[in-house]
Amino acid sequence: MDAIAVLARWVLGALFVYMGLKKALNPAEFLNLVRQYDMVSSPFLLNSIAAALPWFEVFCGLLLLAGVAVRGTAVVLVAMLVPFTLLILKRALAVAGAQGIAFCMVKFDCGCGSGEVLICHKLLENCLLTFLACWLIAGAGRKLSMRFSLVPSPVSTQVSEAGFSG
Amino acid sequence: MKKVLVEAALVAITGAALAFVTNALSSRGLKLTRNYFPGANRPSLTARAANNPVRGAGGTNLATASAEQDTIARLRGKGFQVADGEKVLALFHDPRYEQGLIIFVDARNEDHYKHGHIPGAYQFDHMYPERYLGAVLPACNAAQQVIVYCDGGDCELSEFAAEFLRSSAGVANDKLFVFSGGLKEWERRQLPLEIGERKSGQFRTASK
Repeated sequence: MDAIAVLARWVLGALFVYMGLKKALNPAEFLNLVRQYDMVSSPFLLNSIAAALPWFEVFCGLLLLAGVAVRGTAVVLVAMLVPFTLLILKRALAVAGAQGIAFCMVKFDCGCGSGEVLICHKLLENCLLTFLACWLIAGAGRKLSMRFSLVPSPVSTQVSEAGFSG
Repeated sequence: MKKVLVEAALVAITGAALAFVTNALSSRGLKLTRNYFPGANRPSLTARAANNPVRGAGGTNLATASAEQDTIARLRGKGFQVADGEKVLALFHDPRYEQGLIIFVDARNEDHYKHGHIPGAYQFDHMYPERYLGAVLPACNAAQQVIVYCDGGDCELSEFAAEFLRSSAGVANDKLFVFSGGLKEWERRQLPLEIGERKSGQFRTASK
C-alpha cells in the first residue's frame, strides 16, 4: 500500500508539473482560456490569475515529487481542484444548454493544460485527482519523502525519518 | 490538522510569490497591468445560454446561426465594418490585393498562423504587439482596405486585434474590416491556405 501511495503522489506531482508547464509556456493562450470563465472583470486580476497559476501548479507538483510539505501541498491542490471542477461543470452545462447537445458530448479546452477534451472525462479525472490529494492529506505517500512535514510533530518526525531512511 | 493548514498556507504564500517572480522573469510572461482584451463586452456564455436556449434536432445549426448574428451585431456595435465571405473572396481576387492595397491580417497566434493562413496575410497577435507592429503597421498604412480575421465562430481575436490597430496604432477605422466568418468560412469554401511564414510559397487546401 505504501508503494501505491508513493506512486499516487508522484503521478499527482508529475501531472501538475506537466499541466502547469504547458500553460506557463503559452501564457497568452491560457489568459484567453481563463477569460472564458467570466470569473473576474478586472484585467489586473485576470492577468494575475493567468500569470501565476501555471507556475504555482509547477511548484506544487515539484513539492509532491520531492515529498516536501506533502499534506499541506495536497490541501492546496484540493483547494484548487474543487473550485476549478465546479467552474468547468458550470461552463459545460452552459455550453450544453447553448448548443442543445448532451452533456457528455460537450467538448472544449478547459484551460487545464490538456487541450480540447470531453468534459465528462475531465470531470472524472479531476474527481480522481481530488481523491488522491485527499488520500495524501490523510497521511499516505510518506515513504521516499525528503521532508514530509514542514511543521513536524514529534510523532510525524520519527515516522518521516523512518520513511526516508527506509 | 492545524499544522497541515499552517503548512498549506506556507506552500500557498511561497508558491504564489515564486509564481509571480517567474512570470516577471519569463520572456513570455504577462504584463499584469495591461488590458489584453480592449473593448471586450461580450456577454458571458452562461448569460447567452440562458437568453438563447436551443433544444432538439438542428439545434446546433440554429445556435451557430444565432451566434454569427450576435457576432455581427457586436462588431457593428463597436463601430467595425463587417466583411462576409462573399466580400472577402471579392477582395482576395481584387487586383489591388497583389499591389498591397488590400491586405489581410491574421490575428491568431504563431502556431495557428503557421499551420495555415490566408495566402499573403500578415500575422498580428495582439497579445504581443511589439513583435508584429514593425511589419504590420506600414502595410496597414499603405493599404486602402485591411481585413482582420481569426478562426470565426466564437473567436474574438480579430476584434481585439482590430481594436488595437484602430485605437493604439492609429489605423483609420474606415479602412478596417473584420471577417466575421473567419478561417472556418474560408476553409468551408475550400480556398487555399498558405503554410509557414508569409509568402512561403507553400500551400495546402483546407481539410474537410
